Amino acid sequence: MTGITRRSFLGRSSAGIAATATLPALTAGPQEKAAAQQSGPAPRTRIELTVNGESHALEVEDRWTLVEVLRDHLELTGTRVGCDRGECGACTVLLDGKNIYACSYLAVWADGKAVETVEGLARNGVLDPLQQAFIEHDAPQCGFCTSGQLMSAKALLNEGAEVTEQSVREALVGNICRCSNFLNYQAAVLAASRGA
Amino acid sequence: MADPMNVVGRPTPRLDALERVTGQARYSPDIRLPGMLYARILRSPHPHALIRAIDFAAALELDGVVAVLTHENCDIEWASGDRANPRMLFNNPVRYYGDAVAAVAATDRHTAEAAAQLIAVDYDTLPFVLDAEEALEPGAVPVQPGGNLAPPFGALAGGGAAVPGPAVYERGDVEAGLAESDIVIEDHYVSKHHNNAQMEPRTAVAQWESGKLTVWTPTQGITNCRDDIAEAFGLPYEQVRVICEYMGGGFGNKNQCQDTDLIAAELARRTERPVKLELTRKEDFLSIHGRWPTSQYYRVGAKRDGTLHAIELTGYSGMGPHIKSSGDIAGIDFYQCPNVRKTVHTVHTNVTTSANYRAPSYPQGVFGIASVLDAICHEIDMDPVEFHLRNATRQYRDATPYTSYGLIDCIEQGAEAFDWSGRRRPAAVDAGPIRRGTGMAIGAFTARLGLSNAMLRLDDAGTLWLHAGVTDIGTGAKTTLAMIAAEAMEMDLDRVEVVWGDTDRSPYSVGESGSRTTSHTGFAIVEAAEDLKRQLDERGPPGPGEELVAEASPNPTLDGEQRYSFAAHFVELEVDTELGGVHLTKYVAAHDSGRIVNPLTATSQVKGGVIQGIGMALHEELLYDRNTGIPVNPGYYGARIATHLDTVPIDVVFVDTEDAHGPWGAKSIGESTIIPVVGAIANAIFNATGRRIKELPIGRDRVIGAMS
Repeated sequence: MTGITRRSFLGRSSAGIAATATLPALTAGPQEKAAAQQSGPAPRTRIELTVNGESHALEVEDRWTLVEVLRDHLELTGTRVGCDRGECGACTVLLDGKNIYACSYLAVWADGKAVETVEGLARNGVLDPLQQAFIEHDAPQCGFCTSGQLMSAKALLNEGAEVTEQSVREALVGNICRCSNFLNYQAAVLAASRGA
Repeated sequence: MADPMNVVGRPTPRLDALERVTGQARYSPDIRLPGMLYARILRSPHPHALIRAIDFAAALELDGVVAVLTHENCDIEWASGDRANPRMLFNNPVRYYGDAVAAVAATDRHTAEAAAQLIAVDYDTLPFVLDAEEALEPGAVPVQPGGNLAPPFGALAGGGAAVPGPAVYERGDVEAGLAESDIVIEDHYVSKHHNNAQMEPRTAVAQWESGKLTVWTPTQGITNCRDDIAEAFGLPYEQVRVICEYMGGGFGNKNQCQDTDLIAAELARRTERPVKLELTRKEDFLSIHGRWPTSQYYRVGAKRDGTLHAIELTGYSGMGPHIKSSGDIAGIDFYQCPNVRKTVHTVHTNVTTSANYRAPSYPQGVFGIASVLDAICHEIDMDPVEFHLRNATRQYRDATPYTSYGLIDCIEQGAEAFDWSGRRRPAAVDAGPIRRGTGMAIGAFTARLGLSNAMLRLDDAGTLWLHAGVTDIGTGAKTTLAMIAAEAMEMDLDRVEVVWGDTDRSPYSVGESGSRTTSHTGFAIVEAAEDLKRQLDERGPPGPGEELVAEASPNPTLDGEQRYSFAAHFVELEVDTELGGVHLTKYVAAHDSGRIVNPLTATSQVKGGVIQGIGMALHEELLYDRNTGIPVNPGYYGARIATHLDTVPIDVVFVDTEDAHGPWGAKSIGESTIIPVVGAIANAIFNATGRRIKELPIGRDRVIGAMS
């Protein structure tokens, strides 16, 4: 993110602003209790994975999810946890170019794979066109779902197929926004897909 | 038309948009401190039970477990968790499925989770009651020692004698009014509990340093959260610091401090280590609160010419075991009417607590009253727009003038933008399985004034530092307030730096709830700026190393007036009468919010509020198994929270009003956006099908049931 400041960005975005202005478990089962009573450290496995182009060799507990490793161990907290059960999409990252829920994917499964997170979108001080469009269309309100919306949108654009209003809605359907700013997200992705 | 201004009124991207799209924005769950412990909560699997004994020896034996709290070893009160009854962090008996029973701190979250499952709790289960009206029947199990009928919230909030009983409002003579009416509609409407479901689950990180407690937590009001925590621990306010840099939504369920803040702080105090307490999504759905379910009995009378003459509403709001909010059923104040009586009972039940969710008492109340009035229009063959132009409120409760008034403009301009006269057809005229209909409803929400505070510092580099006690919960408040400051100081927006979200660095704020930030804090900024400009005139710009500082703590009041924002919404939809689906095709939301400070973010607020309302109208509901008292769908998928596929193009119309009491003529926006939605959709479904559905949500099952 070096090279981009809030001020320099806002200064550049004025054309976009003008354009925008014209747009109208609470209880455990027996198995869990048995597991909890087992003594000794949790099993660990060595994995190697690439995150935003950087390779990492890690020893992970087998029970860790990918989002835990990203947030707690690689300190990439831009990927959010909204539900931790594969319902909301806040934790969406790209795995070998495809969008997945990182809360529902074990870290050990990512061995040998390439992960992209929101932190990897901007390159060499330049925002990804999706990020630029998200700002201009006021896509983030509280912003907690934004990283996930961005990564699902990135996966859609990676496919290279024609992007339509319906394909955007379908590509992002697994990413809930409770501020319910869906319309702005959809408009931003469409604009980015058209190089607008 | 309002005079053009330099900054205010121009669509402006959020000052912190870059942080929000790059992942740099730091939310409470992102806080990690050296040596930090992780905490988990064990919750009741019963809707109502007495705890005979808790044995946590096995949990403590697990490697990495440091502390366990239960009702036996922790007696801290969560005062803001209940206005009517003492509420502790851990209660015995437990009164709903999900009530906190114990908390565990351990070196990592998996160990804390495992340890919580090793706690053995011996429960003596009790009978339970889920429904508000059943809870008032003779012989119903008492949820609280004082009985199931709570005192009126006004008495609790006012600190007066809190005697159980309904809240009653009356004017005129409702019985005589009904007798004098040419047409009387008597009907019953039911709304359900649905969760705020904000994206960021509750996480609190607490740390004690030299006797001072710092809590990082998602809160809509850092000041009141700080005050609540200080009072719970018997600390002076300056010994508690609350930080909330970024906050992932709340819509009313992150007001005040939460038990999570207090539990994290108590675990940190006992273990002498920082503690992070994380709630799962299921816990967040059940242990905080959602919108209260209501049962509304109406008798409404009108004259043959369409003049509204009498409204009687008797309502019951199921609040769960605890009273945190009013439990009111609002909406009848949107209409002129000489004879009114409203009686609302707030009732304890053994379900998840109900409290504030965006315009807390309105969308469910508007569902009821807007449906009944639509039925009157149908009976007397009057166009709803004409009916509303005739009957919409002109003075608050027909007695008190509004400071500014744009409701008629909202109805007229909204109807025009919608092409109401072109689109509106008689009820149920389509013959095929897909039937099209239109509907409308109106809304109003108080744009209160009150105490707030802002500080401005102008430094020697020409930077204006704005200190404001806001968090920016997603509304764009940080940007709006900076725009107000820039306008007031006649500076460019990029010279303004906002200092926010930290009680040690930013002054008192009422909190971002009740759509108050722009009016309250904005007003303080304008006043502080006047002082700063006067200093600039007298002393000139600050020299090297100097600063000019101005602070204002205004507490404006209204003299015999009421200050409201207004709205009128119009919707067109299609009902699939065979499969029960409802598909929205057009939506117009017309709003009077005074002068719009930032049209970009204000428009986003309207669109978001409308889509939240669509979810409430058509699919969201927290369901309980009546045999077990256990909620069956606490989560995004199960509760059917709206997604990208539930959208409809929304035309937002801001009518041109200015309010003399607001900063640059601004009023409020956030909550008014959801108020008319459910009523408008329900009325459009009647217009499409000729069937009036009187229970939310209007899902496929209810549509098919109504058609058969």
